[in-house]
Amino acid sequence: MSDVVLVFLYALATALATGLGALPFLFVKEVSDRVVGLSNAVAAGLMLGASFGLVSEGTVHGRLGTLGGALVGVVFILVTQRLLAGYDEEKMVFEAARGEGARRMLLMLVVMTVHSFSEGVAVGVSFGGGMTLATLITVAIAVHNIPEGVAISAVMRPQGVSVARCAGWSVVSSLPQPLMAVPAFLFVEAVRPALPWGLGFAAGAMVFMVLVELLPEAFHEGGRQEVATLTTLTVIAMVLFQRFL
Amino acid sequence: MSATDPTLTVLAYSSVAAFAAALGVLPQAVSGRLPLRILGWGNALAAGLMLGVAYALLTAGLTDGVLAGGAGAVLGLLFVRVTHAATGVQDLDLNRLDDLDPAYGYQLVLVNVLHGAYEGVAIGAAMLVSLPFGISMALALAVHNVPEAMAFTAILESRGVPLRHAAGLAVATKFNQVLVSVVVFVVVGSLPPLLPWAVGFAVGALLYLLLSELLPESYSQAGHTSIALVTLVAMGIVVALAGAA
Repeated sequence: MSDVVLVFLYALATALATGLGALPFLFVKEVSDRVVGLSNAVAAGLMLGASFGLVSEGTVHGRLGTLGGALVGVVFILVTQRLLAGYDEEKMVFEAARGEGARRMLLMLVVMTVHSFSEGVAVGVSFGGGMTLATLITVAIAVHNIPEGVAISAVMRPQGVSVARCAGWSVVSSLPQPLMAVPAFLFVEAVRPALPWGLGFAAGAMVFMVLVELLPEAFHEGGRQEVATLTTLTVIAMVLFQRFL
Repeated sequence: MSATDPTLTVLAYSSVAAFAAALGVLPQAVSGRLPLRILGWGNALAAGLMLGVAYALLTAGLTDGVLAGGAGAVLGLLFVRVTHAATGVQDLDLNRLDDLDPAYGYQLVLVNVLHGAYEGVAIGAAMLVSLPFGISMALALAVHNVPEAMAFTAILESRGVPLRHAAGLAVATKFNQVLVSVVVFVVVGSLPPLLPWAVGFAVGALLYLLLSELLPESYSQAGHTSIALVTLVAMGIVVALAGAA
């Protein structure tokens, strides 16, 4: 099998792993307001922790590029928000939800999907360093993707979306990974300078999403102490998790 | 800096951070009673700087001893949560400008004192990671102290405390920041295996503080988008500072 096909298959496997993130929600039977708040707190912690990892990796390749990319990521979300606001919220329907909930789910999927583009580039570039470590890198990234599926499902499941569809959307959000990994692998030298910008973009978009949507929603439905405890613990767990992979 | 005893460096920069709190009365002195929106942005600025310091400590300070760091972070989170609950300052609303209840007054002073202590752990631990890194973190927390003192001043003034006393009180509540910085620097410095614990403790404490107090507070004072932007920019500044050190 050629290296290109192999990179694509590996990246596809990591995308499919994202769907596993929906599984914990098989055990959450009743979706009360409190569960909504706490799910958002967990999603916020997962995304903050993931962004910490992206920023520290990005700054290794280029500090200014990472910060510049983060700024672009924030502007991207602001523009997307503006576009979504152009639609009548009352009439907005997505999956089982309408209005505010539908808007938040869409924004979450947009954020997670665009961030997968940067991750796909990162995968391709790391493969460009040689195929010997490929299996190890694939496993690491696949496992990294699971919490991202948890974050997406944590926002979608409380809106009444079924576990199977949460898993489906999680996989969809990661599909840009295989699509971007192959060109990044083929043109690694050309792509490498863009890497800090891409990683910064992903981090900026995710942190902004956490601050503007997930945390306010978490505080709206849950108590300050439980939200803060859960988010802090999740950030710590996510950072430890990344360090050991 | 090599000629100076590093303990003096810690003393000097933590003192700068403590005295910076006096600047928090300036906005009030210049323009009188501040609109709630401004206080919200101040809280967001303070939260973003704290988030940046937590990120920088995690990446620069936990190169080894990751597990001890994680355990320390959980300890820091629990310590803040339990201390604030035991003293009745959990869920304290930091901006009840018109609340003249005597209990609210002492609770507010206590919260500021406690914040100073946790930030002292962060400064002491950061200085042990490396002096230039510690200095940049101390300066970030010095700036953080300004909006924190601004919120403190707003309440003191509405209770009839003259501005010059408010400035003195704001600095006095941060004296323990100096003390804790120096003690952590000396004690942990003589027991190096404790360093990841101290770094982790500071990270857990800071994350919990900004999530349980500063951010939920700010969301109730200004629009979510502006709060998210101010927080992100503040965090970005610390990320840039930490890298330059």
